[in-house]
Amino acid sequence: MSAYLVRRLIHLVPTFLGATFLAFFVLQIAPGDFLTQWALDPKIRPETIERMRHNFGLDRPLLLQYLIWLKNLLHGDLGISFMYQRPVLEVVWPRIENSLILVGLSILFLYLIGIPIGVYQALRPYTLPDYVISFFAYFGLAIPNFFFMLILIFLLVKFKFAFGWTPFPIGGMTSQGFEQLPPARQWVDILWHAVLPAFVVVTADLSGLTRVMRGQVMEVLGQDYIRTARAKGLAERIVLYKHALRNAVIPILANIGGLLPGLIGGAGLVEVVANWPGITPLLLDALNQQDLYVNVGIIALSSLLLIVGNILGDLLLAVVDPRIRYG
Amino acid sequence: MRKAVRLVALMAVLLTAGALAQVFTWPAKWTTAKPGEAKPGGTLVHYTISDFRTMNPFITAEADSIPDRMTMNDSGLVIRDPTTGEWIPYMATSWEISEDQTEITFKIRKGMKWSDGKPITADDWIMTYRIHMDPDVGSNSRDSFFIGDKPVTIEKIDDYTIKFVYPKPDAEAFAIASFSPWPAHVFGPVYEEKGAEGIKAMWGLNEDPKNIVTWGPFVVESYRPGERVIFKKNPYFGEWNQDEAGNPLPYLDRYQVNIYKDVNAALAAFLTGEIDVFGPSTVEHIAQIKKAIKDGKLDATLKVNASPIASSQFVVFNWNKKSDPFKEKLFRSAKFRKAMSHLINRQAVVDVVYGGLGTPMYGSVYPVLTQWINKDAPKYPYDPKKAAQLLAELGFKKKDKDGYLVDAEGRRIEFNLSTNAGNNQREQIAKLFVDEAKKVGVKINFRPIDFNTLVGQLLAKGPDRPFDAIIIGLTGGGLDWPFGSNVVPCKGNLHLWNRSGTCLDPRETLMEALYYKGRTTLDFKERVKIGYKLQEVEGDLQPIVYIAGPNYHVAWNNKLAGFHPDEIISSIWGAYELPLLYQAK
Repeated sequence: MSAYLVRRLIHLVPTFLGATFLAFFVLQIAPGDFLTQWALDPKIRPETIERMRHNFGLDRPLLLQYLIWLKNLLHGDLGISFMYQRPVLEVVWPRIENSLILVGLSILFLYLIGIPIGVYQALRPYTLPDYVISFFAYFGLAIPNFFFMLILIFLLVKFKFAFGWTPFPIGGMTSQGFEQLPPARQWVDILWHAVLPAFVVVTADLSGLTRVMRGQVMEVLGQDYIRTARAKGLAERIVLYKHALRNAVIPILANIGGLLPGLIGGAGLVEVVANWPGITPLLLDALNQQDLYVNVGIIALSSLLLIVGNILGDLLLAVVDPRIRYG
Repeated sequence: MRKAVRLVALMAVLLTAGALAQVFTWPAKWTTAKPGEAKPGGTLVHYTISDFRTMNPFITAEADSIPDRMTMNDSGLVIRDPTTGEWIPYMATSWEISEDQTEITFKIRKGMKWSDGKPITADDWIMTYRIHMDPDVGSNSRDSFFIGDKPVTIEKIDDYTIKFVYPKPDAEAFAIASFSPWPAHVFGPVYEEKGAEGIKAMWGLNEDPKNIVTWGPFVVESYRPGERVIFKKNPYFGEWNQDEAGNPLPYLDRYQVNIYKDVNAALAAFLTGEIDVFGPSTVEHIAQIKKAIKDGKLDATLKVNASPIASSQFVVFNWNKKSDPFKEKLFRSAKFRKAMSHLINRQAVVDVVYGGLGTPMYGSVYPVLTQWINKDAPKYPYDPKKAAQLLAELGFKKKDKDGYLVDAEGRRIEFNLSTNAGNNQREQIAKLFVDEAKKVGVKINFRPIDFNTLVGQLLAKGPDRPFDAIIIGLTGGGLDWPFGSNVVPCKGNLHLWNRSGTCLDPRETLMEALYYKGRTTLDFKERVKIGYKLQEVEGDLQPIVYIAGPNYHVAWNNKLAGFHPDEIISSIWGAYELPLLYQAK
């Protein structure tokens, strides 16, 4: 087991180097750089732009830039954000924290809603409730998240016009006057803002999870050991939750590792539409403005987490499934 | 003139109880509020489309920044009177201009204090200037202290007297002197000890707001990344800023700026009353606001087409095409460019691209700068017949089998046109142009490309540059001298049509000479005359074919009052003076 772990950790190095170098390279072959946006500004002299390009090290050869970045990375330094003139981690971290709240909540929703629904469908396959749930699950999958969020915001604005108040806030992460609230109320306020966007994020993944869950439970319920369990007179509840469900969730557990990079990757365009100050709006800005080290920094962090997440997933699998052994 | 005299009278030195501040009185004609009507208290909630990047005035490079929001858009010794456009003393009380017009000595207003209570003196301007000028700091303001390649210098005479020395007389002398000071007692010690690196590390977004100091009406109270910044009233501002009734300013207690990544989110926030001021930019925005007002769901004021915006869209033809002498000769011909101008249906552009909410343009001076516009400068408005006639004069009389104009040797007028991909407005303009050109037999191949590639092509130097024609825009443009220092002179990096480094047409040489003559003329009326002449030469040369620009619209929630009278609501002056806004409901 430990030999396997060491081997996986050694594999991590070339994967990480490959991913970051590719990211660095692809970002740099795009025409222009961070300073191009000022090239057409009548107030800025071209000498100034050249001087700043030199200060940012953007006039060095690509490979050298990458090696310097790598060297700094070993000291825990992800470089400087050109936009903010600050270390990348300092810029990125508060946004990742915000995204974590949204993504964490949506993952919680996903399992809380998805697993029971999948089980429910598996117990009543090919019935009307099964079809109705599937219909809505696919609807959620089909509709783009950002568009769904826009529709909800539109409905909220209509609601506000009709009744003068709204059940959920229209975008944002905190209310007016947030700073004056006691800490506990601040958390309630943030969660209240997060519910709607988190729900929207869930709709996209729900159909996948319920489908897998439904299929798994149906398959497991057809197994011999379930028949044995029923034959020896166990209550249906115990058969279902102790024997069937435990085996049915294995593939879902294996996927948990894959969630890690998603945690810092943010909730995508929903964050933009719902005005949630997560990592996505920042990443979009950074891509637009070619803020090199912010982009590479985010890619480096998420590829690292993806690799670690995969290892964790494999290990988890070995824990829950006694048939799996790593040599 | 009488207005100016009245203003000076208004700014007469007042002695207020306790403090010996020399008071600046905000004229009542800058607001719609009657004197004594405004009440203290309340909050203005504004918005911005991209997140702030720093609170540090020396490294900010954003169009909208926290330091600018704290200092009324980088105001200082002098500000402009929005009713006349003239410079008036603000943090200064008076000035003296030397005989040779290269030195201006300002008397600094006494009794002004920073938001931490320390006095504001000449040292603050000197230190601010020194830090801006340090190339290692990388301040975006550094270039504004240069005239050509020579820097403007600042000398302290005494604590309340400061002298600006210019390398030569300059039309923008007051604009250069108008920068906002920052506290020397905060930045000075750090700069002396740690230099540029020390300055760059100061006042990041995670700085404790207690450490932020400004002279302006509002100072940072709190900031939440990607969400909002809240400013609170600077109590010392009211000691030297008062309304005509003698009340301290600002009236508002707080000024909040919400951050929306998406303009539709900002619109939704305005419609539901979460933000108080909104700048609609499309017909749909305006329609939604109108409907909300009409349905009684929003109590707001909407000003549509308040003025044009100082921004332009234009076509530029490349004069440096050594590899294609036929095209080069064509693009260098003023007759050809005039013909192209006749092919641009500016009214259609305004109707289609801006939904009727735009203004046609025929020259480099933005239509909003009304006192600068020479109405008699040559114009070449939409007229396909005249275009065809001009092209015939150039030898393009016959059409080939595909219906395109050819010259005696059978060469077609055909060129490539590009703009930055994803800019819908420019792409629409290009399509209108292509269609009109086709009707008279000019073949234009339109292909939008990536913005940075486009910039690379435009700014390429030398005798052979890699494009034919490009649709692009520039923004900004001074009230003092509305011609670009790097656009008009032939060596300028934004002399987009000709980057060979030398003037190729005698009219270019003349424009350059007029540019420098105007720039070094301090007398405004004299300068306007030179500007008129420049526009005539420009019209005749048509180095750039101007198309149109969008208009400025603004809407505000009626719970706030004290906005500008209609005559001074424009893209230049905005809709209000921040210290004069107050909560009415």
